[in-house]
Amino acid sequence: MRDDRNKWDELRGVDDIIDTNGAMVSTVSCPRQTLISGVNVLQQTGPVIGWPDIATSRTYSLSVRRDRVLIVGGDFREDGWHQDLGQAVSDASGAYTVLEISGPNAFELLKRGTELSLKIPSRSVARLAFGVGVFLYRHTNETTFRLHVASAQCQTMWQSLETNLESLECVS
Amino acid sequence: MTSHRLNMGGLIDRARPLSFTFDGRMYTGFQGDTLASALLANGVRILGRSFKYHRPRSVWGAWFDDPNAIFDVTLNGRNLSNCLATTTPLERGMEARSVNAYPSANFDIKGGLDLFHRWLSAGFYYKTFMWPNWHLFEPTIRKMAGLGILDRNVLDNYSSDQVHDTCDVLVVGGGAAGLATAREAAETGQDVVVVDDHREMGGGLYRTGTIEGETPRDWVATQIAAIQAAGGRVLVSTTAFGVYDHRLVGLAQDRGFAKPVRLIRMRAARIVMATGALDRPITFANNDRPGVMSLDGATEFLGRYGVLVGQNIAVLSNNSFGDPAAEQLRAAGANITRLNPEIGELSAIGGKRLRGVEVAGQHYAADTILTSGGMTPVVHLWRHAGGKLDWSDEKQTFVPGKAPDCMTAVGAANGIFDMIAALDGARIAGRGDPTSEVSVSSYKITPLWPEPGSTGRQWIDFQHDVTLKDIELAARENYVSVEHLKRYTTLGMASDQGKTSNIAGLAAMATLQGQTIPETGTTTFRPPFVPVPFGIYRGHHARQLFHPPKRLPLEMAHRELDAALGEYGGWLRPGWYGSGTAASIIRDEVLMARGSGAILDATPLGKIEVMGPDAEAFVNFIYYNTIKTLKTGAIRYGFMLTEQGVVYDDGVIARLGDNRFVISCSSSHVDGVSMSAEAWRQDGNDPDRIFVHDTTQNWATVTVTGPMARQVLEALELDVDLSAEIFSHMTFRDTSYEGEPLRIARVSFTGDVSFELSIRPSKVRALWEALNEAGKPLGVGPLGVEALSILRAEKGYLIIGKDTDGETMPHDLGFSIPRLKKSAAFVGDRSLHTDVANDPDRRQFVGLSVTAALKPLPTGAHIVTEGDKPKSIGIVTSSYDSPTLGRPIALGLLERGADRHGETVRIWHFGESVEAIVCAPCFYDPDGVRLNA
Repeated sequence: MRDDRNKWDELRGVDDIIDTNGAMVSTVSCPRQTLISGVNVLQQTGPVIGWPDIATSRTYSLSVRRDRVLIVGGDFREDGWHQDLGQAVSDASGAYTVLEISGPNAFELLKRGTELSLKIPSRSVARLAFGVGVFLYRHTNETTFRLHVASAQCQTMWQSLETNLESLECVS
Repeated sequence: MTSHRLNMGGLIDRARPLSFTFDGRMYTGFQGDTLASALLANGVRILGRSFKYHRPRSVWGAWFDDPNAIFDVTLNGRNLSNCLATTTPLERGMEARSVNAYPSANFDIKGGLDLFHRWLSAGFYYKTFMWPNWHLFEPTIRKMAGLGILDRNVLDNYSSDQVHDTCDVLVVGGGAAGLATAREAAETGQDVVVVDDHREMGGGLYRTGTIEGETPRDWVATQIAAIQAAGGRVLVSTTAFGVYDHRLVGLAQDRGFAKPVRLIRMRAARIVMATGALDRPITFANNDRPGVMSLDGATEFLGRYGVLVGQNIAVLSNNSFGDPAAEQLRAAGANITRLNPEIGELSAIGGKRLRGVEVAGQHYAADTILTSGGMTPVVHLWRHAGGKLDWSDEKQTFVPGKAPDCMTAVGAANGIFDMIAALDGARIAGRGDPTSEVSVSSYKITPLWPEPGSTGRQWIDFQHDVTLKDIELAARENYVSVEHLKRYTTLGMASDQGKTSNIAGLAAMATLQGQTIPETGTTTFRPPFVPVPFGIYRGHHARQLFHPPKRLPLEMAHRELDAALGEYGGWLRPGWYGSGTAASIIRDEVLMARGSGAILDATPLGKIEVMGPDAEAFVNFIYYNTIKTLKTGAIRYGFMLTEQGVVYDDGVIARLGDNRFVISCSSSHVDGVSMSAEAWRQDGNDPDRIFVHDTTQNWATVTVTGPMARQVLEALELDVDLSAEIFSHMTFRDTSYEGEPLRIARVSFTGDVSFELSIRPSKVRALWEALNEAGKPLGVGPLGVEALSILRAEKGYLIIGKDTDGETMPHDLGFSIPRLKKSAAFVGDRSLHTDVANDPDRRQFVGLSVTAALKPLPTGAHIVTEGDKPKSIGIVTSSYDSPTLGRPIALGLLERGADRHGETVRIWHFGESVEAIVCAPCFYDPDGVRLNA
């Protein structure tokens, strides 16, 4: 029975930005995220983004695993089991917070937390970064990354990125 | 004190002198020196004291193989313990102190311990200090043991950078073979990284005259330029300290004294081990005296630092490297006496100052004895990766045998000691071509191993003071396995991990056992290859980033209400609200909840959706209780078990439709239940017909509980009939709030009527504020987890893991029917019918009633039998002073507890005991009138 309120920093606001050492971290407002599972979901949802693909459209599907995608944007879909499509659908708009990491040192920063290589592709965007499960992919261009993190662990991710960015030096 | 520094040669910068102190005396070295080379250059011989006998010691080797010279070093107020003098680059202003010596290495008051060496042999501590009690001696022995003194001051901002990296080829070792490999690999288009632990590439090349027609410096510069021009990366001051699964190599990059060492987790498609070889000591009487050094090390001090370690040098070598090394030292100005170590017994003559060496009874004057017992390839990384070792009779050493996956050894590390052959093999390896056997080697060696039974004290392990007689003693006492030998004598257990001592120790044991060395075998090679700071494993995971809790979307609202926040089940949650006395506030919150009602943040409760054609059968399988009879819109309480039949989680499950369920497991078990469900989905079930989505964080949950809960909810004007007749306990409704989906579940963890409202996190603040606003005039306010814990205990509701342990089965908690009657298979079923499960003496869940005059029972106290020798028959699992009942209450697990209701039992805790009466766990509203109101 302890009062640890001062042990933990207050939560970061969605408008906060880290911009130092050649990388910028900010929160992206994402109107809708929908988790869909199904045997054929990768084929049913069209082209899916894996690693190191670059998402460029307003609506896109992230390949999470062989039978699961996260659709970012797009139309509303009713939660539940869709017998006709063989799909399980759950809204996940509040489940994941989306961070954007951009700039010339963005990749170096992410290498502090996860094993990352542009030469090693993956069908899935799911990986462990800074000890937290995330979906990581490129967005818009080659030096902009988006990271979907469970909302309850966003503070951890934010602090991890901030701590590592403050002391970022390239390996030489 | 004579200077041993030559006027030319080495990689040091003579234009940049650096002053420093050692054991309080001032010395000067040069940029490029190590602490050891600078001290040797100043004529300082005694750099440390041995671990047990406090014998004076100088350096043995010139790099990581030195076991002797270990310092505590301070620079600019930052202190590091146990720095190896041979690998610590000299910096201006360093203050170095020898460890394990007082007041100095040269004069150590504990040096007299050596006189008692007969009583301090291997394992002496296993045989002595038994009477009257080991603990009487333990503090003194612990104080004397160990090396270095830990500074209590924390190094500010010591946070190691951790970075992941990948490459096609990782070359470990920047000597001739390593650089040749790296260049060849880079020029054939591969992504190459070459690492070396020195500040300059080149390895042992600086001991040689020329290589491929160039000076070592020029040749190294040419290779580095070529590697970098081809896109390769060259990392100096970087040690590969371990090879782990899937070709992951741990690299520790030194960035300057007391600066955080960087950890590079390098995933390499191919690893080339070019780690070179070490010179072995020769075992003879007094071979630990200051001035007895490695021949290889002496030439390294000469080539790299321009230090000639002695003037009158006796060279003892049993291999073909002896003569060229002796010539090199002679050319540098030393008087060399080349002696054959194989012709008779050897003995070093002298104490702190070496006077000579005796060979087969013949005395030879010398101030330094350089020995070379043969080269040992540095194969640690090879063994980390699972590579085999072969014994080479020709080279009298272990060499790399069957290769581990994607790993190649080149150069001296591969037992190739000829430069031309090493370069050829390295270039083949660089291209990735298969290597061929090298049939002809100019390296010649005569076997020369420790001779058990020979006279004098002969050191095998310099750092841990293990002598040949200790090996003999271990053999006599039947510690003949190499692993037992290691543990009994501590051979190879110090920070040098036996780099110079292991083979000599094995050879001695082999002779004692009448075996060959390969028959005797080697001990296990484990990372790290050299000591690395713990900080590199920790990285940035410190303070708030060490095991951080999950955070609630309502955290700011709680802070604004002056909530005391604490970690509960991996989440940062409000324990209570307000800054006064916690116990008083919690008591008030309980009374408020029972009197009018309360509002609490229940967001962490699980919301795991199971969907698909087989969802019903699946949840019926993973739950102990029968779920298939659950109707849409209804909720059921149930247990999940492990395969061992132990209760893993309790919670409720709601049916949202024919093919859709929501599991609301306990807050701290969400990840575990989700993983468990996923595992069972893929094991024994058809994964194409079941899908599990953990939507916990998509829904924030606020619970309204208490007699006025319904009135509070009515203020929201929801499109739901909240009456008890229509919206009964253990049912739920889907509705909306301000346009957002809202789920209301009528379940209770307090014993009073309760509604759990789940909504999108983005809308929860509005809902929370509306409920609090509506509750205020009714005397309903926020409630923390501490008060909730009391409320649930009053009602006898469990917390799994607190009120249960690793043996508790559902029938111990009063839930027996599925065990006896559920016909469908379920997880843990079989384990519920074993002898253990049917034991009549199983510990069962009970309440413990205590008179009001007493304090609450201590949680964790034992329930014991009466008599002279009380035996524990149970434990108090939860205990509170109930504000509602005005007396203490407790829950516990007790042998045959269900049959003991009404029985008085004794509760024992730290020598004090009180009585309690066993009762049913439910203390409040046992008929459920308030619950179903």
